Amino acid sequence: MNQKEQVKLPIISLHHVTKVFQGKKVIDDVSLDIYPGETFVIMGCSGSGKSTLLRLMTGAIKPDEGNVKIKDKDIAKMSVDELDEVRKSFGMLFQYSALLDSLSVEENIALPLKEHTKLADEIIKIIIKLKLSLVGLRGFEHYYPSQISGGMRKRVGLARAIALDPDIVFYDEPTSGLDPVVGGVIDKLIKDLSAKLMITSVVVTHDMQSVFEIADRIAMVHKGAVVEIGTAGQIRDSKNPFIEQFIHGSPEGPINFFKEDIGAPLF
Amino acid sequence: MVSTIGRIVIEYIRWIKEVVFLFFDILYWLFIGPFKGKLAKRQGILQQMVFVGIRSIVIVFFVDIFTGIVLAMQTAYQLEKMGATLYVASLVAISLCRELSPVLTALVVAGRAGSAIAAELGTMKVTEQIEALDIMAINPVRFLAVPRFLALLWMLPALTILGNLAGILGGYIVGTGSLNINPDLYMQTTFKYLELKDIYTGLIKSFVFGIIIALISCYEGLNTKGGAEGVGRATTRSVVTSFILIILTDCIITAFFYFSNS
Repeated sequence: MNQKEQVKLPIISLHHVTKVFQGKKVIDDVSLDIYPGETFVIMGCSGSGKSTLLRLMTGAIKPDEGNVKIKDKDIAKMSVDELDEVRKSFGMLFQYSALLDSLSVEENIALPLKEHTKLADEIIKIIIKLKLSLVGLRGFEHYYPSQISGGMRKRVGLARAIALDPDIVFYDEPTSGLDPVVGGVIDKLIKDLSAKLMITSVVVTHDMQSVFEIADRIAMVHKGAVVEIGTAGQIRDSKNPFIEQFIHGSPEGPINFFKEDIGAPLF
Repeated sequence: MVSTIGRIVIEYIRWIKEVVFLFFDILYWLFIGPFKGKLAKRQGILQQMVFVGIRSIVIVFFVDIFTGIVLAMQTAYQLEKMGATLYVASLVAISLCRELSPVLTALVVAGRAGSAIAAELGTMKVTEQIEALDIMAINPVRFLAVPRFLALLWMLPALTILGNLAGILGGYIVGTGSLNINPDLYMQTTFKYLELKDIYTGLIKSFVFGIIIALISCYEGLNTKGGAEGVGRATTRSVVTSFILIILTDCIITAFFYFSNS
């Protein structure tokens, strides 16, 4: 019982979070909990605020109202040093990988290791080989980001994200812009990582195929507010018109860009 | 009208505040950061020194040698009338060391290295590389701005010394080649009137110019917004702003030395 309760403590917790950009509410009173070891998917249309939610969780931006807690500590109230300490347990895969262009694949993955650990160079080399083989890219140590394909860059980005064996990995649109096969490989990697290393994964995506492949739980976001949270099964069977429209990608339904954005129908 | 001017003034004050803030941030990572065990990377500094310094040698040399040549010809034209062509030697040396070499070298480096820094950091910003550093708990100012700052701080005075020599060489070519001044006499006159003070006031200037170029190009790069167009804008802004500030501070420093002497 006791053990079960411990597992139930959320690792990330958003409590009535609101964020305003230039007078526009981008995030509107969002509350959600993410538990250790689960793969939590935030899905929604472009501009729905899902990437902003991710940035609130990583501390890149601060909420205007409410609070964001990581491991029960309020991220907005942390000093720079404390935030850095928390961030050492983060990994993040960016939409366009965000590898440092001036560094080789090897140096990119070595960067967090060299900055935050006192490991000897030989050991760092071994870790790099290990992480690269985990993403299936051994032998690419000396390539530069500009010399490899987008899918490979993403996988290197993932290797870098897990270099420090993080507790939480954030994925910003991990499969967008990739062909279906590489997308499938990334999905499998995300699943493997959470299964083998007990990593908590937070995934922002609008790739429906990938959502049901990887998700334990899903939050559907629309116009900065959470429409529904549930397990993958619950969301799939949901009768919520927003979710039905989103899953089937139909132009007709409550999600209507034209009306909302310009105040009148375009056609 | 008034509100527009007000908005522009507020924008400028905000800009100055942020640049000064960046300066203090860099100083923090230079002097306080190391005691927390967070040093700037030596390798990064060396890389930047090569880029800023070594790769600028040829262009600085040519700019200053031609300036020396032009200066010698222009002053000879006037000094000839007074039969004082010999003084071309000291005039070229002093005006180069005190004024032209520091300013021209700074302008060349601002155009060459400053723009490259702004473009590189700007591209890193718009492709989320800066944010990636943040998430990895690596401070972008320490990791990117400090090595560039140090490189400019040391390499600009070094390049200025090279420029001084190149300019004097330019004057020497005109003086001995076309004005028929005895080579030994030319060098004697140069060093008789050129004082150590002339050289170090020039070096103090180039030190300050180095700080200006580093701050402006790093600030514009790290605050780039809006894709490829934003990178272009940041690059242009860094060069234009550096140019204006270099000329302005040159005027201020020169006035300071001028009035503190008299």
